[in-house]
Amino acid sequence: MISIATTFLWLFLITFCVSVAYSIKDVQFNFEEPNVSVTKSNELLFSSSTSILNKGYYNIDSFNLTTKVLDRESFTLACQSTFVPVIEKNKKTIVNHTVTVNFNDLLQNSQDYLFNDTELKLYMIVGMKLADVIPVQVSTNLSLPWGAPLYNFTIGKIRYGVDNATSVKATIPISFENHAPFDLNGTVKIKIYNNNDVFLGDGETSIEAPQGSSYQDYVEVSVKNAETISDSGRLEVYIQTSLFSYGPMVISYG
Amino acid sequence: MDEKSIGFRERLRRITLKILKATIKATLLYGVYFVLSMFLAPISDAVPGFQQMVETFVTVYLFLMILGEIASGTVFQHFFGAVKALFVILYLIFSLNGGVITLYFQGAQLMVDIRLFLMVAILLSLLGFAKSVLQAISFLNEKAQVESLKF
Repeated sequence: MISIATTFLWLFLITFCVSVAYSIKDVQFNFEEPNVSVTKSNELLFSSSTSILNKGYYNIDSFNLTTKVLDRESFTLACQSTFVPVIEKNKKTIVNHTVTVNFNDLLQNSQDYLFNDTELKLYMIVGMKLADVIPVQVSTNLSLPWGAPLYNFTIGKIRYGVDNATSVKATIPISFENHAPFDLNGTVKIKIYNNNDVFLGDGETSIEAPQGSSYQDYVEVSVKNAETISDSGRLEVYIQTSLFSYGPMVISYG
Repeated sequence: MDEKSIGFRERLRRITLKILKATIKATLLYGVYFVLSMFLAPISDAVPGFQQMVETFVTVYLFLMILGEIASGTVFQHFFGAVKALFVILYLIFSLNGGVITLYFQGAQLMVDIRLFLMVAILLSLLGFAKSVLQAISFLNEKAQVESLKF
């Protein structure tokens, strides 16, 4: 009697396992490339859509998609999860998953993201329960290309000209390329110091660089005392945009 | 001479029957494995070494089953039954890595937690093991009773 019972239990167990394994084969996952955009609260938004077509014999329970955004030093910048309680069999479910990253958090560890095209690390974990009893977890590392908003930021040679009878006008050319996935709007402020660390003056200009465009302009600084001007010195650059504030960036001239 | 001849024929008949029974059982079990292996083909493609693992298991299991059938009517039948149950337990534990299987493919890590399945399988095997041990005790007990009745 025990033999018959155990045989039936074995058969049930093996059939169940085979059917679950066979069922997984008929589940289609379609992960779309993540998109990067900017939210109204000026945060970077990574969004991706995943469609799951469950043609298997069982429902998929506790579907959980977690994404961690990491910087180059593997410091976690953001971590968000999307939970779907049940993905019913013979149905297509679309899971929209978003992660928001504060741009200032990104800059806190490395300013490289401002000036150099690099990549962000994404660590994705997909967890689910097959047939109510078998937990499965898939994890993978992805890299997302990152375009710098101030790529190749360059300060050109300072030109001096007469402003009025008492002051001199310094013209500082600036240029960069906006490789970031967002438009850049803000201001650039430059302070000039001579080689004796004496403040000469400051000037500001507004910048408008749509994504993928090159920007070229100049900042005019009025220097009150022309005698303090020297061939060399330093510039302090402050960049203020709706997404981030950066500065002072010290650049030597001369 | 005549008694010996009948004894030999009877023994031959019994052994033939045992071998026949073992062959039928092994064929049936192999048939089940053959049908299941068709369903498991997609897993075998995805999991390297899976096919070999299942084949080794089936081979050893069939071998122990055939030995048990041939040894039926002796205490060794139960001994092989117990060995078979222990083999199933140990093989499942080691081959399934304690119930948490981790696989790597195309840069992704897949982790499947089948501890519940493993636990049920071990419990069923333990039941089989306990049954074999109890049957062996019962067999030896009956044999001892028969021996004592002869005296």
